[in-house]
Amino acid sequence: MEWEEMIDLIQTLGAGLLIGCVYGLLGLGIVIIFRASEAFNFAIGEFLVVGSFLFYIFFFDLHLPFLLALPLGVLAAGAMGALIERLAIKPLLGRSALSMTIITLGLASVIRSSVQLIFGAHSYSFSLELPDISLEFGTLLFPSERIWAGLLSVIAFGFILFFLFRTRWGVAIRATSESQSKAMAFGIDARFILLMVWALSSMSIAVAGVMISNFGALSYLTGIAGFRAIPVVLIGGMDSIGGALIGGLIVGLCEALIGSYVEPLGLVGFKDVAPYLLLLIVLFIRPYGLFGTVRIERV
Amino acid sequence: MLSVENLRVVYHDVISILNGVSLKAAAKEICVIIGANGAGKTTLLRAVSGMLDLYEGDVIEGDIKVGDSSIQGLDSTDIIKRFGLTYVMEDRPVFWYLTIEENLAAAAYSRWDGAVKGDMEKVFSYFPVLRNLRSQKAGYTSGGEQQMLAIGMSLMTRPKIVLFDEPSLGLAPLITEELFHIIERLNQEGLTVVLVEQNAHAALSIGHRGYVLENGRVVLEGPAAALLENEDVREFYLGAGGKERRSYQDAKRYKRRKRWL
Amino acid sequence: MKKRLLIIGIMLLGIVLIFPSAASFAKPIKVLAQFPMSGPVGTLPEFGWGFIDGMDYINGRGGVNGKPITYFLEDMRYSPTVEVANFMRYAAAEKRDEFLMASGYITGGLKPLIEKVNKEERIPWLDGSYSTEIFGPEGGPSKYPYYYSLGATYGDQMKVLLNWIKEDSGGKGRVGIVYSPTEWGRDPLEVTRAHSKKIGLPIVAEEEYAYTATDATPQVTNIRKAKADYVIYHGYSAAPTHTAIFMKTARQYLKKATLLGTHYTSGPYLILTCGKAADGMVGVLCRPQSDDLTNPMVKMSHDFAAKYKRTDGIKDFFLYMEGLTYTLIFHEVLSRADKAGELTREGVKKALDNLVWDYHGLFAGRGFSYKSHTIPMVRVYRCKVEKEVEKAGKKVAVGTWTAISPWINADIELK
Repeated sequence: MEWEEMIDLIQTLGAGLLIGCVYGLLGLGIVIIFRASEAFNFAIGEFLVVGSFLFYIFFFDLHLPFLLALPLGVLAAGAMGALIERLAIKPLLGRSALSMTIITLGLASVIRSSVQLIFGAHSYSFSLELPDISLEFGTLLFPSERIWAGLLSVIAFGFILFFLFRTRWGVAIRATSESQSKAMAFGIDARFILLMVWALSSMSIAVAGVMISNFGALSYLTGIAGFRAIPVVLIGGMDSIGGALIGGLIVGLCEALIGSYVEPLGLVGFKDVAPYLLLLIVLFIRPYGLFGTVRIERV
Repeated sequence: MLSVENLRVVYHDVISILNGVSLKAAAKEICVIIGANGAGKTTLLRAVSGMLDLYEGDVIEGDIKVGDSSIQGLDSTDIIKRFGLTYVMEDRPVFWYLTIEENLAAAAYSRWDGAVKGDMEKVFSYFPVLRNLRSQKAGYTSGGEQQMLAIGMSLMTRPKIVLFDEPSLGLAPLITEELFHIIERLNQEGLTVVLVEQNAHAALSIGHRGYVLENGRVVLEGPAAALLENEDVREFYLGAGGKERRSYQDAKRYKRRKRWL
Repeated sequence: MKKRLLIIGIMLLGIVLIFPSAASFAKPIKVLAQFPMSGPVGTLPEFGWGFIDGMDYINGRGGVNGKPITYFLEDMRYSPTVEVANFMRYAAAEKRDEFLMASGYITGGLKPLIEKVNKEERIPWLDGSYSTEIFGPEGGPSKYPYYYSLGATYGDQMKVLLNWIKEDSGGKGRVGIVYSPTEWGRDPLEVTRAHSKKIGLPIVAEEEYAYTATDATPQVTNIRKAKADYVIYHGYSAAPTHTAIFMKTARQYLKKATLLGTHYTSGPYLILTCGKAADGMVGVLCRPQSDDLTNPMVKMSHDFAAKYKRTDGIKDFFLYMEGLTYTLIFHEVLSRADKAGELTREGVKKALDNLVWDYHGLFAGRGFSYKSHTIPMVRVYRCKVEKEVEKAGKKVAVGTWTAISPWINADIELK
């Protein structure tokens, strides 16, 4: 392979990995809810938009510095997630996970319309203007925004991992995710845990949302990016946290490679479809996703 | 300490499981409940511990009291916190994907005091074998170890009353013996125990008081020793009795008619 | 006797009072206007506001020589199907001698209606499309006698841009074009390619970028690979997020390139959505800057907005002015037709064909002739974004588009 082609490839792979981290974060948001309640949150796009708008208020309207606005915005998103859980999900406790999943579809519509009502239908300019850390070597160029997106996503992911595996709430969440009845029997209030799970999920989605909004502008339509999470978790395994990151990276790489090498051949827009085709292939081989449930069964 | 009064429990609004159960477990006593499958033993324990909701069960009549306070209708987490009553579910209720240590930590979740580490040490002293396995995922341990872990987890909630649901189920006799020794020991150290068992002999041997549950009713009660001697109990639950070998000619009447029906 | 006189007197009075309003019993004047007020190009209610306010004003001053204009206003959601369907409905429901003019706003709507409008209905149709195919050298009044564009064709706009690029780069520029996979996007490509060959300016990249895209990296990377230093972005409105995504991505990856846009992309809305990324962009516009109060038409629009209390709600003043523009040309042409005693579709057409007008000063006083069925006035502007400024409590990127060329009459001056 020629040197120039090599550089092209590195450029593409790098871009794919960076965006893949953001997708991984989105996937994480889906996975932790799925593990706790077996429901798929179809309102992920709308959570993304609301989280971004909450951050917008702190950063652009109130002019708080980024280091303050981001945690505040994320916490506000968490509170919103908890509120939605109380209003829409808790009443369904004990019903099937399918019911919860369907409710999220309705939730998506309601939230999308509410966002339009409150914030209007137009686009909001969104420039974080973080310090410039772009990497440039000759023709290789990784813009600062993309590097920040990947970096912050990985950090957020790390925070959540730490929370889940090194704190007592994390232990309680993982216990409840495994069996609600056992958890209740030992005094873990499963309902509160579910609340925490939705809050945690909203927070991770909010961080991803801020990164995605920074690539362009913020409007109620920005949430479309949320659907990228579907191939991410189906490829990675719906209940695997590590799988979410791997799935995210795979989808990111897939998009980047298709965008650079296949689309110019005339298939414009194919890179939005490609992850789904990849998904089909993966499910053929591993129906539970690459890292889906490894069941411990005592025989 | 614990008293159940005329409890009637129904599942899914239509299936009546408990039809007026009354029993008492005095403080620092081991109260044994035996009965066939489907008699309602697990339902009774679920009702007492506040877990009925999860299984779509309802108490339609009767009361459950700890001391003088009624705990009927309270949540399981409340009951654990306020009344120190913990329920060890049937079939070894441990979290398979968490390590043994994490399991114990999870069980201590509802407590906010800092003595958790100390309590974990105590559990390991009761069950030394768990100490060696502390970083293993619980799902990979043996049945006996899991049952010990479950009991250990219940201890982490600092209970005053523990309800055991068939702890010996599926375990080898030696392990069963060990478990029952531990339950006895815990009781001697002040724990009130309600022990539901299929293994009637072992249970009644360590118990103080016994109840026989059948079709959702208490059909016999008395001191555990008395029950052990009771002819009906012996025949139907202890496997002894039926003094002569009956011939098939009398097959129609081979089953001794229970006196309490 | 006295009673009878009184009754007759009252009857006469009544008849006398009725007669002046009898003038309004004359046949009504009906027009249909359609704008994309929602849909993939964004939410743009300002079109409708401008139109309604204009009509209110005109009808309040007597309408067309005393006759009020009855107008129908529809949102065609930037969909050709909707636009066509709306028109068909009205054409079927209204009488030929009452329904005199119609307007549309999408290139894709013109094609399906060619037969209907030009042969069957023979109703003058004004459009916000600047389609080269319909209005350019291949089309025009001979082929589509009833189609009129309210601007210069995209082909003409691209030619102006290319000429500017040639001048700015000293003839050495490399041009990349990003266009939308729509009628609008593809419209000027032929003419552009031909013109670029003619003036010796190479087009090194052509990229399709869909409205539904959430990421512009592939297109921008390809442009980067082709080493284009002038990138024309055509076939998009400034409002939706895909424009912001493209502009920002282009800015990140193509640090030294100049971005250019055609009429509907350039404008203040771009600054609103893209902020700093719009800085330095060069655009061609068929209308003056909507904050250029020295322009009489612009000033009039602002007065309208204040009078009808729209000022706070308007995000892009250009759209409001545009709606108003339609009202004014409807009124102008209907009045001329009426004065000539021919208030019919043919009369209106004649008035349009022979129109030589300054459009209330819209083009800094320059008049134009409508012979080519296009209003061929264009001007090149450059965007400069100053730092962000407090505006109504929000931090808003503020910038200006400054004219860097005089008004060019594409019919006359473009080679």
